[in-house]
Amino acid sequence: MDAAPVELKFENKAVIPTDPRTKLFLTVTVSTIMITGGTGGFMNLIRPCLMACPIAFLLLSRRWTAAARFAVTYAVLFVLELTVLPLLTGIWNFILGAAVGIYTHMLPGFIMGYYLVSTTTVSEFVAAMERMHVPQKIVIPVSVVFRFFPTVKEEYAAIRDAMKMRGITTFRSPMKMLEYRVVPLMVSVAKIGEELSAAALTRGLGAPGKRTNICNIGFGPLDIFFFLMAIPCWYGFFI
Amino acid sequence: MIELRNINFRYVKGTEVGGLMDIDLTIPDGQVILLCGQSGCGKTTLTRLVNGLIPHYYEGELRGEVLVDGKNIRELPLYETAKYVGSVFQNPRTQFFTVDSTSELAFGCENQGLPEEEIIERVKATTRQFGMGNLMGKNIFSLSGGEKQKIACASVSVSDPSIIVMDEPSSNLDVSATKDLRRMLRIWKQQGKTVIIAEHRLYYLKELIDRVVYLKDGKIEKDYPAIEALQLSAAQQAEMGLRPFELNMFPVTARPAAGSGFIECENFHFAYPKQKDALTIDRLSLPQTGIIAVIGHNGAGKSTLARCLCGLEKHCKGIVKVDGKPYNRKQRLSLCYMVMQDVNHQLFTESTEEELLISMEQPAPDKAAAVLERLDLLPFRERHPMALSGGQKQRVAIAAALVSGRKILVFDEPTSGLDLQHMKEVADELAAIQEMGKTSLVITHDYELIVSCCTHVLHLEQGTVQEQYALDTEGLGRLKDFFIESR
Repeated sequence: MDAAPVELKFENKAVIPTDPRTKLFLTVTVSTIMITGGTGGFMNLIRPCLMACPIAFLLLSRRWTAAARFAVTYAVLFVLELTVLPLLTGIWNFILGAAVGIYTHMLPGFIMGYYLVSTTTVSEFVAAMERMHVPQKIVIPVSVVFRFFPTVKEEYAAIRDAMKMRGITTFRSPMKMLEYRVVPLMVSVAKIGEELSAAALTRGLGAPGKRTNICNIGFGPLDIFFFLMAIPCWYGFFI
Repeated sequence: MIELRNINFRYVKGTEVGGLMDIDLTIPDGQVILLCGQSGCGKTTLTRLVNGLIPHYYEGELRGEVLVDGKNIRELPLYETAKYVGSVFQNPRTQFFTVDSTSELAFGCENQGLPEEEIIERVKATTRQFGMGNLMGKNIFSLSGGEKQKIACASVSVSDPSIIVMDEPSSNLDVSATKDLRRMLRIWKQQGKTVIIAEHRLYYLKELIDRVVYLKDGKIEKDYPAIEALQLSAAQQAEMGLRPFELNMFPVTARPAAGSGFIECENFHFAYPKQKDALTIDRLSLPQTGIIAVIGHNGAGKSTLARCLCGLEKHCKGIVKVDGKPYNRKQRLSLCYMVMQDVNHQLFTESTEEELLISMEQPAPDKAAAVLERLDLLPFRERHPMALSGGQKQRVAIAAALVSGRKILVFDEPTSGLDLQHMKEVADELAAIQEMGKTSLVITHDYELIVSCCTHVLHLEQGTVQEQYALDTEGLGRLKDFFIESR
């Protein structure tokens, strides 16, 4: 099954590649447990453990500074959460609570999601979904969404530049700003979508029968390590 | 063999443009055929009939039959047609489905369900044949337009269809990328593939085509063997609204010289993160009220210069002096204006007039009306900008820049994908802007546009100024060296 394309070069975004399924599983794990899980007791052990995931992934994708900054800020906030937060009252409790909440509860999930999207190619993702026996009716639309993340980013940057040149800034009226950003974005994304579908159809996307895939995805030691780490976390989360 | 029998077609969505009438065309195997004619003549529609996008994707009223190797396209689902017909489209940005180049090459074969080993062999063979090993394993978003188009052609080749349909493949390509495209076409011709190309720029095709079909208003007006078509005189070609087969034959329009003033640019240095310097220009003088063509190969720094000049790059510390007054980056945001290649990005409002009014410090409807009049936009002042044609949108963007009193206008590939007529309209607009005393910089690889209106040429290579000259007789020779002899 796993034909090894030794000489065929694929884009290599991480130091050690991880399987898309691992990334998907960890994204779900981290965001669910971090956001909905409480604090205190067993969770004080699980949280730093799960926190290590986004940091490890940032390191794997060679974002050294981002990883260091994130690790330090998280450590500081986590300590504050455990020590100072219970002592504060009123507005200060609210402010620190919000900062800690957003940073330590939501951001890890976002980082995982970002890593998943930015280091997984469409083909790898499709391959992973097919291995999980997800039906084609779901695989194709989801892969299109995957393909669209970088497109929207590119288009959005161009529109931002255009607004800067026109001297249209957020100060004037926030609602108008939103409209000015969203309308051109919708128009160009719709056009790109139409052309993209036409191109994909002329290349036989959607043919019945089994698709093949030359991507070599598969589980390695790193994947097994992450899975072994995530399982006790879920266990702790449920009890 | 492809047979089109008594085809009549009309798009459903209101527009009359691009329909076809009474088309009868037989294309034998192995022929390289050029479809030409003005925008809206139906050549793109014709390509869509062959690759099955009509009637399976674009809706319309179709009568007549399209047979590819005896099979009726109408009864063949698209994924079946895909085995016989490969397609390359105009816009390099919207025709790759995966994100990395290696998977993209394999995509068509994967859909057909070919065994992995065979796909890998084919991908390797195609990579060798097209000499593009350096493009493998890359993120396609990070590639240039020319490289993307190369990937598109190669991925068609991997699926190995016997027919290849191309819809304006060179629109967004520079001189050397066009050369690469021609090389790939030559390979296909040698392999005996049938190639159908709808195209505006004709010069790069002259040694490859066997036959030329000229369409007008949805009908086949002329059907020449290539030898005859190549003998058309410059005047005949112009009358037919065609760009020349021979760039040298294109008439050069003499432009009045620019004023004597100069815009001084100093210290334009810029590097993208983790890359070598994209731009290193210490000093540059641009003739004020000139129309300056900015030329150079891919990665020469043309777009970077434009972005720095317009104040879009924060880390560029350059200073621009106009009439002795220095402008820093932030001030340049309201001194310069860039008309982007995709103008859809820079139209925000609900009416053409409002588009102009939000650009002004103090909204002055009569001033806006005057500019609209000047650019033939007055009848459309109430219309939604997104509902206008491509050329009109471009003019709305220009009008917005003019009413806000910009002194320097930068155009990013304003004529990519335009036919002769529309290219000339852009040339006229540039001339009108010059008469208003503005300076225009035009990033372009359109030789015909440059000789139709530009006064100066700024040639960049590797982030520095290679040469800079006025477009007099001597300058024209140097321009031809770049575009014609360098082929």
